[in-house]
Amino acid sequence: MGFELLRPATVPQAVALASAAAPGELAVLAGGTDLLLDVDRGLVAPRRVLSLARLPWHSHRWAKGGLTVGSAEPLRNLELDPRLARRLPGLHDAIRAVGSVALRERATLGGNVVRAAPASDLLPILLAYDAVVDVVGPEGRRSVALDALLARSREPALGHGELVASVAIPTTADSVYRWQRVRPANDVSQVGVAVVRSTERPYWRVALGGVPSRPLRLHDVERELARARPTREELGRAAAVAGASAPFVSDKRASEPYRRRVVALLLTRSVEQLLARATPKAG
Amino acid sequence: MARARRGLEVNGHRRSLDGVPDDERLLDTLRGRWRLTGTKEGCRSGGCGACTVLVEGRPTLSCLTLSSEVEGSAVTTIEGIASDAVGRVVRTAFEREGALQCGYCTPGFVLALVGLLKERGARVASETLVEELSGNLCRCTGYVSIRRAAEAAREALG
Repeated sequence: MGFELLRPATVPQAVALASAAAPGELAVLAGGTDLLLDVDRGLVAPRRVLSLARLPWHSHRWAKGGLTVGSAEPLRNLELDPRLARRLPGLHDAIRAVGSVALRERATLGGNVVRAAPASDLLPILLAYDAVVDVVGPEGRRSVALDALLARSREPALGHGELVASVAIPTTADSVYRWQRVRPANDVSQVGVAVVRSTERPYWRVALGGVPSRPLRLHDVERELARARPTREELGRAAAVAGASAPFVSDKRASEPYRRRVVALLLTRSVEQLLARATPKAG
Repeated sequence: MARARRGLEVNGHRRSLDGVPDDERLLDTLRGRWRLTGTKEGCRSGGCGACTVLVEGRPTLSCLTLSSEVEGSAVTTIEGIASDAVGRVVRTAFEREGALQCGYCTPGFVLALVGLLKERGARVASETLVEELSGNLCRCTGYVSIRRAAEAAREALG
């Protein structure tokens, strides 16, 4: 038992090591907050662990009206950047929903993307922002929409030897992320709702976590909201659609009927919150 | 992969990582090899904060950190807290407020608070301070006095 830790200092070295490994032999370590627990529980037994610690992926930068986050950048560094809450408030909400401060000193956006957990607090807001993932691998670099990368449950669509280099959010539209849990500090969310409000069409983008397969965009809810300032009735219909159509199931965290009621409430409150702080606009 | 090991600096003293397996957690290296047993093991899954230490001044869960991954870093544990200016203030605040009962969670709380006050400064809002300490659990439920100690430390530094 036990594993060897590989700490490549350059991206080509990292890709070469990842490509050379046999399937199941190698695991990638970003923050390790899930991987090391899986090792402890015997769920995985990699012979080699590839650490991203020395790669130049420990930063985030604001550019072209959006944000690009290196895959090994700890969530805490984003949270401590005062621009985050102003420019991407829903991402700030979501990051603060993850674990504790000390956990967020290690956990990463990249790790959440690769982990693709259905209850992730970060994936709904990234989906609602149409986040794009930058991937490096033996064939070179490619960009892929997060939604496409998450096509299969818990199994990101990455090729052999491919590594997530960064995650980009191509806008700074206003947003909210709201979640429901039994105990705030130490639980996993039963339901999470991310809402992004743009100043141009489409005005609303909505994504959901806490469903059994993978976090999802709720396109039918977005269609119901439609207008820049939906009426109370339109919002009510959108909330009803969210409650009715989301593919919830009952599990150890919450029952299906409970989740249906909660998602309608979270959606309503999120949209009301965004409307209340938005500058009034026509339409 | 053979390589020269640089070791760690723990509470200002160099410690070698020779013979430490790659998959060993910082918590086990600190307690088992170096007998720095002030750092406590709680849930061992990142949920209770008992094992919190500072790595390069930042609060870190030593149960979820590989010793070999933080090679070359400066680590502060509860044993070294008296040589840190913020650490002395926090320790005094915990003493004055009697912010402990059985004491098992105390090292984690102290290190978490020191790290927070370093990251956010003494002007951090009370509610932020309390919310960001919420990842540390106390099973004696002594949270009121811990909260008073956190406020007192913040005031003393402000």
